[in-house]
Amino acid sequence: MIDTYRNLDWDYYGPELFDALGETIQMVVFAFAISAWIGLTLGLLLYTTRAGGLLANAPVFWTVNFLVNTIRPIPFIILIAALQPVTISMLGTGIGNTAVIHAMVWASSFGIARIVEQNLVTIDPGVIEAARAMGASRTRIIFTVILPEAFGPLILGFTFVIIAMIDMSALAGIVGGGGLGNFAIVEGYQRFRPEVTWLAVAAVIVMVHLLQILGNLAARKVLRR
Amino acid sequence: MSTDGTTDARAGGDPLIEFRHVTRRFSSGRGSAVTAVDDVSFTVDKGEVYGVIGFSGAGKSTLIRLINGLERPTSGIITVLGHEVSGLSESKLRHVRSRIGMVFQQFNLFQSRNVAGNVAYPLRVAGWGKADRERRVHELLEFVGLADKAKAFPEQLSGGQKQRVGIARALAVKPDVLLADESTSALDPSTTGEVLRLLRRANEELGITIVAITHEMEVIRSIADRVAVMDKGKIIEEGRVYDIFSNPRDDGEVTFVGSALKDRPTPEDIGRIRQHTTGRLVTVSLKDSSAVGSVLGRAAEHGVAFEIVHGGMNTTKNASFGLLTLALEGEHHAVQRFVETMKAATPVQEVRDGEEVPR
Repeated sequence: MIDTYRNLDWDYYGPELFDALGETIQMVVFAFAISAWIGLTLGLLLYTTRAGGLLANAPVFWTVNFLVNTIRPIPFIILIAALQPVTISMLGTGIGNTAVIHAMVWASSFGIARIVEQNLVTIDPGVIEAARAMGASRTRIIFTVILPEAFGPLILGFTFVIIAMIDMSALAGIVGGGGLGNFAIVEGYQRFRPEVTWLAVAAVIVMVHLLQILGNLAARKVLRR
Repeated sequence: MSTDGTTDARAGGDPLIEFRHVTRRFSSGRGSAVTAVDDVSFTVDKGEVYGVIGFSGAGKSTLIRLINGLERPTSGIITVLGHEVSGLSESKLRHVRSRIGMVFQQFNLFQSRNVAGNVAYPLRVAGWGKADRERRVHELLEFVGLADKAKAFPEQLSGGQKQRVGIARALAVKPDVLLADESTSALDPSTTGEVLRLLRRANEELGITIVAITHEMEVIRSIADRVAVMDKGKIIEEGRVYDIFSNPRDDGEVTFVGSALKDRPTPEDIGRIRQHTTGRLVTVSLKDSSAVGSVLGRAAEHGVAFEIVHGGMNTTKNASFGLLTLALEGEHHAVQRFVETMKAATPVQEVRDGEEVPR
């Protein structure tokens, strides 16, 4: 086993792995940078427009709720394929990392929406009532009460989503994208070199652990426990 | 404004809060509706402490939330600080709300902010500058005795301390009215006293009008000037605290006052008392104005001996009253003459073995 790695051509696999890791990070960071805002907005809409909410509005709630429930369950590999016409019309191409990022934005936005909503419903309605009683506007309540009160759980929720997005990015190879998933399949699996696949696995594991530790530390700091 | 004659006569100006035939109904699906507040009319005058007492589910929480527009009436007119709040939009209500502080049963402090941050929040909403905010926060924390806790977070405070922060926050923008929603119900008896004293100081030193809803007679007794008894959405009794405590009338209220007044013997007490005396048992009302003591002092002149076998005193914000149960021994006619003498001074009731003493 150790010999296998000793005999690995590091001059070739080292830079390849490094590039793949870079591509994975790039896909996740770009997609998250967009979907975090879309998801947060949709999640806030779900939370505030529900019956009894700050902006209670049944048509908006049911529309967003329907959208989330429709798109979220589509398996990502199918979503990439199904989104092809949209991807091509928006980006001019249906392949490569950009196309994958596009599909990841769709999938993760609706996932984040649900996670944001789930974290916001745990806020004590009493603090919102208190802010209303003080004469705070609804916009002010959203930004100075709802989001700060749920900040800790939101950090954990977003950490969960980022890790799920690493998972999504591994399917990039399907439409000619790169990243660790593609590296594991093309360099490892298809060439019968399981040790190369395991390199990718190890990289993913290290990345996920680091992210979770960071997320936990940040949440702990915000929650003061 | 006080044209319908319901306004309390002792107040000079217009009432600060006025409810006219206010009803709030909640539809709970399947066509059934709950009437939380049922055709309620009352007024609260500037500077007074108005208590609303009732069992849970009586509609008190809805009633107090109608005042600052957190709930909207199904019908009726609510005027607060000269504004008809029942007709204002959510955004217009904000101006009125900034003049009304509110204290909650579960404190409702922002977990994401420390004590100073909680108290400063309404000041931020009202647009105070940073320096003014800091000065005011310090002043308020001094007032509630928590100046050393400014940087503490809510979970580091005891229940009583949390409520004091809640009160400081409610008083921050110098409101005209303070709404206290079961403000001591989540506290133990010793911290209850602490919070009630603070509310009383807010009323007496800062001149803030207080509306307090509660199910605890203790709260009404120690801070309220006037009280309304609420049952099934209606106000079934209203008056000055002293009057309503010393002369209970309606059914719903008897149980309430009874729960607070342990001034008359139960049938079991009477049974125990009977083991020691064969004398005639009577209860005598004590009020600040009655001269029961001097009548009792002349018992010997009537040839009557008395023993105090039961009794209880109750104190309201500004008066006390109570009931003594006496065992009278002596010649039958002498005892009768002595009871007549007492009746001239204060209400006297016979106590019959095995029966409740009527109110």
